[in-house]
Amino acid sequence: MGQHEFEIKIEADGCVTMHARGFKGKSCSEVVKLFEQIVGEIRSEQKTSEFYEPDEVVRFQIDQKA
Amino acid sequence: MGAVCVLAPVVVAAWPAFSSAVVAAAASLGYSVASESAGALRKHHTPKSENAIQLEIERSEVVTNTLGRDQRISVTKEGVSITFSRDARGKAALCVTGNGQSQEALRACGEQLGQAVVQQYVYQKLLTEMQARGFVVVDEQHHQDRSIELRVRHWEG
Repeated sequence: MGQHEFEIKIEADGCVTMHARGFKGKSCSEVVKLFEQIVGEIRSEQKTSEFYEPDEVVRFQIDQKA
Repeated sequence: MGAVCVLAPVVVAAWPAFSSAVVAAAASLGYSVASESAGALRKHHTPKSENAIQLEIERSEVVTNTLGRDQRISVTKEGVSITFSRDARGKAALCVTGNGQSQEALRACGEQLGQAVVQQYVYQKLLTEMQARGFVVVDEQHHQDRSIELRVRHWEG
């Protein structure tokens, strides 16, 4: 089970700074889009190193017996 | 980490959600609700002898049906009265009045409360939308500079 965390600051004038942690790649873009739908227009966006990590994939290796 | 983004609020609200934000913002700044009514009573709240400042909330749209178009809500504090309504273009508008107050003072009151309404609208909408998606607010802090910080968690499994 993956845990995601957000730090959200709503300024006195209603502007929002949102820091999403625990997201990688596409899932991070989706959560930014979600906040855009809820709050309004994106003024700036900075992707952090975690964004560029590949999505988690479970790999199996099957050895063929001769 | 993930991403850091800054978002400018856009208020698109039905009258009940908008007036709820007005009530919460007014309370946070020490105003009390004087009335919430249809437009027929408007003249009682804006006597012509008073100074009056007209302002609007940028990037706002109050969505309403025909019957609700003339709804308005007034709040007061220390002789200043601020009435929120929906203008002809559908934007959220506010009229600030007060005898013995300068235009600058009235404008400052209106701008401060207008910003607080936007903040409360965003705060209430965030809580509603996030809770609907199973997000849990694990910490909430209200600071002296009037900003609000939320720490929210979401488990995916």
